[in-house]
Amino acid sequence: MVELKNVSVTYQTTGIQALNNISLKVNDGEFAFVVGSSGAGKSTLIKLLLKEIDATSGVVTVNGYNLTSLKRRRVPEFRRTIGVVFQDFRLIETMTVYENIAFVLRVIDAPRKYIRKRVPYVISLVGLQDKAACYPRELSGGEQQRVALARALVNDPALIIADEPTGNIDPELSYEMVELLQGINECGTTVLMVTHAHELVRHFGGRIININSGSIIFDEMVGGNHEA
Amino acid sequence: MKLSGIRYLIKQGVDNVWKNRVMAFASFCVLLVSLLLVGISCLFFLNLNSIIGGIENKNEVIIYLQDDTSDQQIEEMGRELEQMDNISSVSFYSKEEAFADLQADMLEYEVLFESLGDDNPLPDAYRIRVADISRLSETLSMLNSMQNVDRIRAPYDFVNVLTGLRRIVSVVALAVVVALVIVSMVIISNTTRASVFARRREISIMKYVGATNAFIRLPFFVEGMLTGLMAGAMATVITWFTYDSLVDLLKQDADILSIIGVGSIISYNDVALPVTLAYLGAGALVGAIGSVISTRKHLKV
Repeated sequence: MVELKNVSVTYQTTGIQALNNISLKVNDGEFAFVVGSSGAGKSTLIKLLLKEIDATSGVVTVNGYNLTSLKRRRVPEFRRTIGVVFQDFRLIETMTVYENIAFVLRVIDAPRKYIRKRVPYVISLVGLQDKAACYPRELSGGEQQRVALARALVNDPALIIADEPTGNIDPELSYEMVELLQGINECGTTVLMVTHAHELVRHFGGRIININSGSIIFDEMVGGNHEA
Repeated sequence: MKLSGIRYLIKQGVDNVWKNRVMAFASFCVLLVSLLLVGISCLFFLNLNSIIGGIENKNEVIIYLQDDTSDQQIEEMGRELEQMDNISSVSFYSKEEAFADLQADMLEYEVLFESLGDDNPLPDAYRIRVADISRLSETLSMLNSMQNVDRIRAPYDFVNVLTGLRRIVSVVALAVVVALVIVSMVIISNTTRASVFARRREISIMKYVGATNAFIRLPFFVEGMLTGLMAGAMATVITWFTYDSLVDLLKQDADILSIIGVGSIISYNDVALPVTLAYLGAGALVGAIGSVISTRKHLKV
């Protein structure tokens, strides 16, 4: 669950107020799109939810962790409850597909037997069985994004945050990516997808949170085109 | 953390040396040059010190005895000198020996020596060597207080020059080594920082998936230590080869050798173990700590 209560973020170096007294609640098992133009505050929201930055005021709670009072040394433990997919994939270039995904399980000291079983399974979920031994540079953008998705869900997180996951891939693959996320959501994982691809949002519908100039201007359920 | 986890991180560190071979090679070269600069300077100054020590040992104090000293008194004096503090060797130099040596040295004045007949004007003497030349004046005052001593000839100027020289060499050696260590540390820290900077993205990804700082650092620690160990091993081989070649070259030059003495040059075998250990230890330590410190800045994600 994600909950923000009267949260504001002001960057001290520039004085810019990126988020202005926003309140938001995303329940367990929900799928929500966060939309907004560049500079609206979407990236700040993601940084806040990953405890990369702290709120200037207000309370942020993610997966039961109060991020406002969370100690630095407990941040790794908190981040293990979230899966993140970035626009630029952020895969470790010196590791193979298998190693990139297995790394998340090694971080939590998972038994080797479990890693050997779980990683191939997750790789098969995103349809990359034949690419397990490849390095990221040997894959296409769409394939790299699917590796990033596999990495995000290998740990069976309660929440997946996808930050513009379709930004660097072909339009056809974008639909495939959202479908994959919806499939994960159907298994009970909360998904928060940040995007500025309006046609994608219109196509799939669902809960749409629109941020503009640091404020939430729209937060409602909208029916998708594909449902019609 | 489980043993398998630690094993995985160590393996990661070992693999990373090859995976990041360009930066690892840069760190290796910088560490190697730094170790060689400091190591060879230390060996050079150790040898310089040993050579000065060798020259000091050639000091000689001559004690001329009074003419009327009896054979028994001479013997007693010899025993007394042998038991005295700070005297490394004692040898008696009789007036007959001195006269014969003088004659041999001044063959052109044979007529003059013949005119002397059996009359030998030279005194009996003891030739002694002082163990610690910096305590020469103290030893001389003890010798002066002995009976039957006519006069003493001691190498005052020589001693002053040598003790001064040794002091200067010690200060210069310390300053040079400290300067080299500081310069090396700065260069090494810049290189490791550049190496880690190239991988800041990798570090931030690890942080996003929930890796602890220790989990991220251990492979860097192993990688830095391994690079340092390799640099240390290479420095040992280069120093060994260079040192032995230089000593061989010196031994071929009879003039230099006559001044410094064969025994004054430290044999590599005598210092091989400490030099190897120091190279490997310093390489591993600087490599590992340098890498870990450099990751600090990038861990704040």
